[in-house]
Amino acid sequence: MIHLENVTKQFDGARKVTALEGITLRVDRGEVVAIVGPSGSGKSTLLNLVGMLDRPTSGSIRVDDREIGSLGDGDLTRLRRDKIGFIFQFFNLLPSLSSVENVGLPLHLRGWTAQKVKQRAQELLDLVGLNHRLQHLPDELSGGERQRVAIARALACNPPILLADEPTGNLDSHTGAEILTLLGDLQLKLGSTVLVVTHDNEVARSAQRRLSLRDAHLVEDVRQ
Amino acid sequence: MILLRLISWQYIRKHRLRTLFTIAAVVLGAGTFVGMHSAGVAVLSAFNDTVDHIAGKAQLQITAGDSGFPEEVLGRIQSVPEVATAVPLIEAVVQSTKKGEGNLLVLGVDMTGDRSIRDYDLDSGEDDIVDDPLVFLAQPDSLIVSADFAQRNRLSVDSKLPMDTMEGEKQFTVRGIMRSAGLGSVFGGNLGIMDLYAAQKVFGRGRRFDRVEVRLAPGLSIDQGRAALRQALGSGFQVDTPATRGHQFESLMQVYSVSVNIFSLFALFTGLFIIYNAFNIAVTQRRTEIGILRALGATRRQILALFLGEGVILGLVGSALGILFGMFLARATSGYVSDVMQALYGMGARAQDVTLSRGFMVAAVILGTATSVIGAILPARNASRVDPVKALQRGQYQVLSAGENRNRRIVAAIFALSAIACAALGRSHGLFYVSYLSFIIAALLLVPALSLWMSRMLRPVLRKVRPVEGVLAADSLIQAPRRTSATVAALMLSLGLIVSIGGISRSSYNSIAQWIDTAFNPDLFVSASQNLVEHSFRFPDSMTRALSSLDGVADVGRMRGNKISVKGASVVLYALDIEKVAAHTRERSIVAGDFDRMNRLTAEGKGAIISENYELLQHAAMGDILPIPSPSGFVNLPVVGIVRDYTNQSGTIFIDYSVYQRYWEDPTVDIFEVYAKPGTPLEDLKTRIQAQFPEQHRMFVYLNREVKNRVLSNSNQFLGLTYIQIFIAVLVAVLGVANNLSISITDRRREFGILRAIGALGLQIRGSIWCEALTIAFLGVALGMAFGALDLFYELGLVRNDYAGLTLDYQFPFGMALTVIPVILVAAWLASIASSESAARSSLREALEYE
Repeated sequence: MIHLENVTKQFDGARKVTALEGITLRVDRGEVVAIVGPSGSGKSTLLNLVGMLDRPTSGSIRVDDREIGSLGDGDLTRLRRDKIGFIFQFFNLLPSLSSVENVGLPLHLRGWTAQKVKQRAQELLDLVGLNHRLQHLPDELSGGERQRVAIARALACNPPILLADEPTGNLDSHTGAEILTLLGDLQLKLGSTVLVVTHDNEVARSAQRRLSLRDAHLVEDVRQ
Repeated sequence: MILLRLISWQYIRKHRLRTLFTIAAVVLGAGTFVGMHSAGVAVLSAFNDTVDHIAGKAQLQITAGDSGFPEEVLGRIQSVPEVATAVPLIEAVVQSTKKGEGNLLVLGVDMTGDRSIRDYDLDSGEDDIVDDPLVFLAQPDSLIVSADFAQRNRLSVDSKLPMDTMEGEKQFTVRGIMRSAGLGSVFGGNLGIMDLYAAQKVFGRGRRFDRVEVRLAPGLSIDQGRAALRQALGSGFQVDTPATRGHQFESLMQVYSVSVNIFSLFALFTGLFIIYNAFNIAVTQRRTEIGILRALGATRRQILALFLGEGVILGLVGSALGILFGMFLARATSGYVSDVMQALYGMGARAQDVTLSRGFMVAAVILGTATSVIGAILPARNASRVDPVKALQRGQYQVLSAGENRNRRIVAAIFALSAIACAALGRSHGLFYVSYLSFIIAALLLVPALSLWMSRMLRPVLRKVRPVEGVLAADSLIQAPRRTSATVAALMLSLGLIVSIGGISRSSYNSIAQWIDTAFNPDLFVSASQNLVEHSFRFPDSMTRALSSLDGVADVGRMRGNKISVKGASVVLYALDIEKVAAHTRERSIVAGDFDRMNRLTAEGKGAIISENYELLQHAAMGDILPIPSPSGFVNLPVVGIVRDYTNQSGTIFIDYSVYQRYWEDPTVDIFEVYAKPGTPLEDLKTRIQAQFPEQHRMFVYLNREVKNRVLSNSNQFLGLTYIQIFIAVLVAVLGVANNLSISITDRRREFGILRAIGALGLQIRGSIWCEALTIAFLGVALGMAFGALDLFYELGLVRNDYAGLTLDYQFPFGMALTVIPVILVAAWLASIASSESAARSSLREALEYE
């Protein structure tokens, strides 16, 4: 499903910073992978590269057998739209849009009709247990509810890969556990491949596989 | 100062384009102020120079309106003991036949005495020509021209110069060339000097002079000389200093000055809003920086001083550039202003150069800097109030602008009510101005609330058109009403001015067209002057009978125009065959009096009819006695009627031609109004009139529609200002929208990151920015049109009450509005391209990490 071959990422600035170096990795369909490591080890960079938000400095990344290095911006966006769902630590919901509008956003971007978008968004919010919060703005929701909306949005286009960057990092432990359960349920139901960046040992333990990064290198790959 | 160098300078360097926008706003405000004023000052100064140089050493000038006075009056003047020298003068503006040279001012002087008043400063030619006037007199085709004119036309002594005269095109011989300085510089160098008696002949003056110029005996004051001359000549003559002509011209230029003042004020306001927006942007962007400074110990006062200091520096730079831009604008428009004055009043002067006094430059710098500082005050105050804790917190960056506030709406409502109440209460000038000012303040205060309300109304529409891009664009505007409203206010002011200028233009066009149809409606005009307003050339009254006897002519009316001074105001007296006029103008608009009675009394010499603008500008009323000066003394006539008339912008008095003949003893006619018998082919009649008077070489026969087109084209001269205003509005749209969007994309950076992360294509990101730009422009256009519609009401009031006395019907300029709307929308879209590209190409990773 996801294949990284000797991937290196450097950031140019006053001096070059190597965020990832020589990463080779294969993630199969339906796997749940936790990526752990201290701050600055390259976890988020790895997630951004897999999510096609950024491009590697060298090496090759294949997602669903497509080499992303050769794709133009438009094709990359389309591939990301079809294959990837993102869940962020700070939810990244648009503050002016209601829950149903936020969830429907990726579908509108694909050109779905308003009626179909509404129907699908309601289904997804129902799926994450928020059918009573359809017209609420993000400000009117609790942290856990916001993350549920974000998860519903990530699932909107039925992507085979879910990428989550510290999905419980901004939540209390109880709510975090609820979100984790929800993610686990959804993964079982939809068969998605899930990559989770986390500092939370609980989250890491719940994954089938754990990748540890340190100083830009992959230092451990454990199947649990 | 250290903060300015360490903090502001770095920001300016990093955001060069935005700094440029802010400076451009100051340039716009200060430059328009400098440019428009300087153009007017240059034309006025050129006219004053012309008057001064022509007057030479003369201390007083004696005139009796345009008609001049008989030669005998000169003897009476010369016999006054207080007079040392008195020389007669003929002055005429003639069309030069040289291509591209325009008009030539020709002075007819008496060489025997004139050099005691004027210095001819001959550059070449035989000095004895003027030293021995008999030589000059003996050759009536003699002409002296300025070196400048000679050089432009490759003329030298003995060259031939053809000119239009009453005797047709005549060849004159250059007998002398004046140096370009002094007298030779007047009228842009387009000056010719000829013998007085030759001038009388070629300009159809008969045995009359236009004026006499006087030097007083040594030791006498101007007032003593004036008193002595007035006593010797009696009423009907004006004895004034040469500067008085300058003052008259200045008063005619008042229309321009008022327009320019309004125009400059709007430009300054517009600039103010753009500057305000730019500083608002800077404060939003530098929130973290301000937080750090505050955390490090900077006081609120230091933060305030930092931003106000930036305002001063940008204001100074902008003002300096604004002066340069203004000078460019002044050079570009002074010729136009001069042409407008010449076309409208037959008075004008070419400004050869535009200069700025030191005082005016200082005023421009103060004004530009003050505009910049005022624009920076509110954002600077907001910056000083930034809470360092919140500013440094992650996730707190996107603090939405505080929404529009209720107090502002209440104050706006009070001003709106004041505007309505003052407008409804009456015609007092004071109340009118209070109403106008209240309206502008109310409108400006309402912009944030209206922008917000309209953005909310537009959201569903935009959602329908573009479900993602449209909604997010609307939300961006809804979330930042302050950011949006400053640009919208600037656009509103700018477009409002376009609408009101366009409206005045359209209203005056239609009103004048209607007036021509009902009150100035002969089939043909036979005129001695090409532009119908100058009185340099006249026909003999004897032509009347010959014209009347032509086959196909039903009636001929005589018109004799004369600039006179009544109660200190310069107005135009028109002598007409009132009975004939009355017979053909029954449909004309009457302001006061009975149509039949006013015409009967005027025809009998028992009264005068005045124009509505005379009534309003000179505060005259029915029954008032008008002391009309004539060479035979004052003719005192009561006002027996008031009519709507657009002949002259200073006001017009109509008397019967027989009265004019009796008191002015001037048997000449400027224009014959010819009414054709029904069914007569007018083109044929025109040809026959021209053929009937082969000796009248300076005869211009116009069909009614030709005159109508000419008058209407003159009335449209001020429309030129609209085009400048459209240019400024486009600048405002580009500057305002570009500025606005540059902060919008900063505010929306995370939003774009999210959108792209969930699958938005570059085109969709661009689309959202374009939607925002077009929505801002739409808000500006909609409010601008509404503001302009109301502003037009006030502008028409100004035209009526203060600077033209003309009642113009309200006409919204739909055509102009339809032209301007797409121009502004396209300008806004173009202004958004850089921002949309920046948003679409920005790093996705950075956008999502952005706080």
